[in-house]
Amino acid sequence: MATASISRSDIVSRTLAAVFGGYAFTWGLIAFGMAAMVAADMEFHDAEHLTAIIGFLVFLTIFLTAFAARNIVRVWLVLVGGAVVMASAAELIKNLIT
Amino acid sequence: MLQNFRQSMAWVHTWFGLALGFVLVVVFFFGSLSVFDREIDRWAIPASRFEPQPMPSFDKLMRPIFEDMQPLPDARAFTAPLVNGPLPDHFDKVKSWGAYTTHRDPVLTMFAGYEVPNAKDPETMIFAQRTVDPRTGAALPDDRLKVGSGFFYPLHYSLTFYWKNVGYWIVGFAALMMLVALVTGVVMHRKIFRELFTFRPRKTTQRSMLDLHNLTGVVALPFHFFFAFTGLVIFAGIYFPIGHTQLVALHDQHEIHEALETGLPHDPAGVPAKMASVDAMVKEAQRRWAEKGMAGDVGFLQVQHVGDANGYVSIYRAGTDRIALTGEGIHFKASTGVVMREDPPPTAVGRINEFLTGLHLQHFRHWLLRWLYVLGGLLGCACIATGFLFFVEKRKRQHAKQGSSGARVVDALGVTTLTGMMIAALGMLIANRLLPDVMPDGWPLRGDMEKYCFWGTWVMAMAHAFWRTAPVAEGRIAPAWREQCLAIAVLGVAAPVLNWVTTGDHLLRTIGNGYWPVAGADLFMLTGAALALLAARKLQLRAESKITVNTPAMEAGHA
Repeated sequence: MATASISRSDIVSRTLAAVFGGYAFTWGLIAFGMAAMVAADMEFHDAEHLTAIIGFLVFLTIFLTAFAARNIVRVWLVLVGGAVVMASAAELIKNLIT
Repeated sequence: MLQNFRQSMAWVHTWFGLALGFVLVVVFFFGSLSVFDREIDRWAIPASRFEPQPMPSFDKLMRPIFEDMQPLPDARAFTAPLVNGPLPDHFDKVKSWGAYTTHRDPVLTMFAGYEVPNAKDPETMIFAQRTVDPRTGAALPDDRLKVGSGFFYPLHYSLTFYWKNVGYWIVGFAALMMLVALVTGVVMHRKIFRELFTFRPRKTTQRSMLDLHNLTGVVALPFHFFFAFTGLVIFAGIYFPIGHTQLVALHDQHEIHEALETGLPHDPAGVPAKMASVDAMVKEAQRRWAEKGMAGDVGFLQVQHVGDANGYVSIYRAGTDRIALTGEGIHFKASTGVVMREDPPPTAVGRINEFLTGLHLQHFRHWLLRWLYVLGGLLGCACIATGFLFFVEKRKRQHAKQGSSGARVVDALGVTTLTGMMIAALGMLIANRLLPDVMPDGWPLRGDMEKYCFWGTWVMAMAHAFWRTAPVAEGRIAPAWREQCLAIAVLGVAAPVLNWVTTGDHLLRTIGNGYWPVAGADLFMLTGAALALLAARKLQLRAESKITVNTPAMEAGHA
């Protein structure tokens, strides 16, 4: 396999993006999804289950994308940005409905 | 990352598959055994070798036992640091009593939760557990380990590494990597359908290992994906504890709202109250289930706020004929026995969740599917094992030339996590038959000793694996595989023989009586022993033929 062309820093960056970036993004997505669904009158545990089911599939997709994408910087930006935006949105919705 | 998509995915498959494969193979193997966890319990606890029993009378049998229960020393030790000051000698404030049983349980596990005075977090609870013979109420000794449901099963999802839930996280990450390996594996091989029919055992080891890796991976692909995925869903609350952290306010709001809507009190009233006959409530619940055309047994029974005016009894129908573990809950006021609420049918999402988790946990009755689960799990082990072997075969000659020990280390870890793990499991069962009934003073409890034997055996197998894989560093086959296969063959016969000697339950008797939990466990080990012997013989033949074939070539090379 042509592994010679991969730099160590690239591997580290992509692995960190896949694992931690992916986790943070998925957290944001689940939190936002839960808060939004509860706000839309879905039962709390239903929202919890549904977002988790979707969340794991999204995490899987992100994990693979982090290694497939040509530009890892863009992946980082989307993951961190998405995590912050969605987690904040979840916070906002929570404060609105409690 | 690499020149193209397929190559990047191949890189991920190789390296993440390798790193987490050692965890995955353990999860798959003990998951396969957990399919028959209760049957393994019967093998390990001969006193429990009788037919499964329904939930016994609460009023006559269970209640006095519940009232007598108190947390065991290990629960006290766990709770002690969570409290300001010393623990009380006796916990009086019962929060809940519960008992769960299935169509495969002869003995009944009962648990009680107590309020912990002076706890740093007022929500802290301490639990007591007891396993009883539901026919007599006699308790099994507390030091008796249910090797199947109490050790192999938790090993499957937590590696029994409970500190900060680290074991759960390792297994969860491994499950995600299983999904990753499946998707990347499909990307790597365009001719998925052809893989189903391709196995060339007479080609080189490297080629036939890859064939077998692809075959086992593809043939059980939906099974592997489903189980890795639903495993994550089951523990979603641990991996993404959002409802208990960021959105805990929504969770608490829901609990209060739910208590109002269902009428089931969230908190005790603080007023003592007597308890009406729970047996009458069970009878009423069963009458209501029968009326709906779903007559059934009680699977789960719970009393909340025991002895309080707000106390209530929840009775759930066993899911013997359903995918969901339990269902059709009916709740009664504990003090009067009046029905407070009948659970509505689950919502669409609730049903999806029950389907995903219930199909994974399989508490329903379907023996054929149960065996298919074992087969699927073992195919997973074979898939991961052939992945390791392919990795080693592909690189060992090159590593030998470069003087790298990479292939050897992978091979040694492969031996440890495959044959070594089976040796450890058998070693534990053998210890279970050989240890004295009650450990002498100063020794750990019997169940703890069994666990130490498991880990001790595994460490020895690991040491052997690292010692006897030295030839891999020279590009040859490791004798460790053959030797550990022989060990499995010997131990796999020794365990059933010891079962016979110590309990008198030999195969003729268990099969003659149709007592399949123990007969099945014995037959499974004997079959494993026979296969291991066969594998050892094949490896022996191959090692001998390699020497005769390779020697002239080597000499010619030297000349």
